[in-house]
Amino acid sequence: MDPTTAMYVAQGIHGLAYGMVLFLVASGLTMIFGMMGILNLAHASFFMLSAYFCYQFLSITGNFWAALLLAPVATAFFGVLLERFLLRKIHAFGHVGELILTVGVSLVILAGVKIFWGTESLPVKVPPILHGLVTIKGLDYPIYRLFVIGLALVVLAIMALLLYKTRLGKIVRAGVSDADMVNALGINMPLVFMFVFGVGTWLAGVAGVAIAPILTVFPGLADQMGMDAFIVVVTGGFGSLKGAFIVSLIFGELSAYGVQFFSQLAPVLMFLFMAIVLIIKPMGLFGERE
Amino acid sequence: MTNKIMKWVSWSVFLAFLAVYPKLFGIYYTNVFVTFAIFALYAVTLNLLLGYTGLLSFGHAMFFGAGGYGTALVLTHMKGVSLSMALMTGFLSAVGLALILCPIMVRVSGTAFAMLHLAFGQLMYVLSLKLRSITGGEDGIGGFPIPSFTIPGIVFVNMKAPENFYYFAIAVLGASIWMLWFFTKTPFGSIQVGVRDNAMRIDYLGFKVPQTKAVVYIVAGGFAGVAGSISAMFHNLVSADGALHILNSFVPVMMTMIGGIGSFFGPIWGAAIFQVIEELTSRYTQRVELVVGLILILVIMFTPMGFVGILRSIKQKWTTYKIRRKS
Repeated sequence: MDPTTAMYVAQGIHGLAYGMVLFLVASGLTMIFGMMGILNLAHASFFMLSAYFCYQFLSITGNFWAALLLAPVATAFFGVLLERFLLRKIHAFGHVGELILTVGVSLVILAGVKIFWGTESLPVKVPPILHGLVTIKGLDYPIYRLFVIGLALVVLAIMALLLYKTRLGKIVRAGVSDADMVNALGINMPLVFMFVFGVGTWLAGVAGVAIAPILTVFPGLADQMGMDAFIVVVTGGFGSLKGAFIVSLIFGELSAYGVQFFSQLAPVLMFLFMAIVLIIKPMGLFGERE
Repeated sequence: MTNKIMKWVSWSVFLAFLAVYPKLFGIYYTNVFVTFAIFALYAVTLNLLLGYTGLLSFGHAMFFGAGGYGTALVLTHMKGVSLSMALMTGFLSAVGLALILCPIMVRVSGTAFAMLHLAFGQLMYVLSLKLRSITGGEDGIGGFPIPSFTIPGIVFVNMKAPENFYYFAIAVLGASIWMLWFFTKTPFGSIQVGVRDNAMRIDYLGFKVPQTKAVVYIVAGGFAGVAGSISAMFHNLVSADGALHILNSFVPVMMTMIGGIGSFFGPIWGAAIFQVIEELTSRYTQRVELVVGLILILVIMFTPMGFVGILRSIKQKWTTYKIRRKS
């Protein structure tokens, strides 16, 4: 294979890896929105928090796999606390209150992260087995990026099984279409909400750990990822997992090839794509509700 | 009758206080007051959308920035621009931006409206960083000449003196807030509130909902541009981080929430409280985000109607107490 094609393929893989991580974040966001009607503006902060937890677990245990398991769970724990003790209490006040509350939470998380870990970017080392390059058909791929893609696919498969093959998944899907009705049928919806919120933040947490070795861990992480994830959710349609998946992959590739061809205006491309979609379909590609 | 006299007396006391303020408190607090007034107008325009029409915007900074950049660009590149011309340019560039955006924005409401503004606000921020030849990138545009206020042959006021600029800024910002107050009191203002409470019923009554939203949107955007324009002249600088950053979009939302949503003077109270908090926290601690975040959470959890809500409930308790004592 000649070097130009090899470069394009490598960029494609980079884009795919980023798109997958983006999907992990955006899927949690869109799931929480579809279920509870809450747009969690602190979602990206949980993503960042998880990256910091990963760094912390790694420096205590020295084991990346333990960090990969524990950090998202710890993040999900904080997410559940937020839902149980803050969001649930102000549900009656409406969406504006929820949006502003989550902005407040994201500011507190940002400040907390700066207090505990400082503002410089912290490196996260991956275990030797994920280090280096693998050669397939004469092309070099960084193993870690392939691992990220694989990890995202595994998580996606688990989520799909949970949603479509279990009773709980059935309840969640019913809750997305009409939460009040499901509640009236005798199912403890507040508990289900709490569970969904936990799973959503867990997904963000997995993404946070996956991205930590690539981008390093710094307080600006939430802004960078959060904005992209919001654009994905808005463009794909609020509450639509399918839309989030497709748009995440498009954006991953768009940013990877965009940086290569017009590096100056790469960030604008995503906004442009979003603007065009929204002008044609104000509810997003696959969105049906506001 | 006495009420009317009271009103006139309190207004003239207030105006007299504003007139002697720079003499009483010195240069530092004069500048603090100008900052407060800028943010008061900015928050009032946001409340026009949030409190009166029920549209939460997370990208209001783009109008603030449009006003700032408009004024800065015209002052940098054109010679002999008068002060009012510069101000008008800021106002009109924000109005222009609102006109471009409103066909998309009036079709959505609720969370979609908030998120679209977040995205467009961020787009403006990125553009202002990238289009370095026009906006100066991260450095922004600074050091442009501030024209003097002149009526040929009669008045000449040099705006470089902070005290003079104080009077100019207070006059413009005060007049803007006053105009917006009247705007909410017109029949049109009532339709606006109707759109917030029940858009479908307003539609059935024969009023045009999207057009109403568009007019409110343009007015709110334009006056946010005035705030941005004054801010640019006040600092003699407009930059991406100062004017268009996402935190600058959150600030008026916070002020409105702290002061009291759904009351015209709430955001002004909020701006004052916010200014005091910022003054105190930046003096004692570096953790402004932490303080602001905690305040937001506490306000939402315990007093969702903000400072004005507290005032109202105290007043209500006082009247019921008086009535009880009489009976």
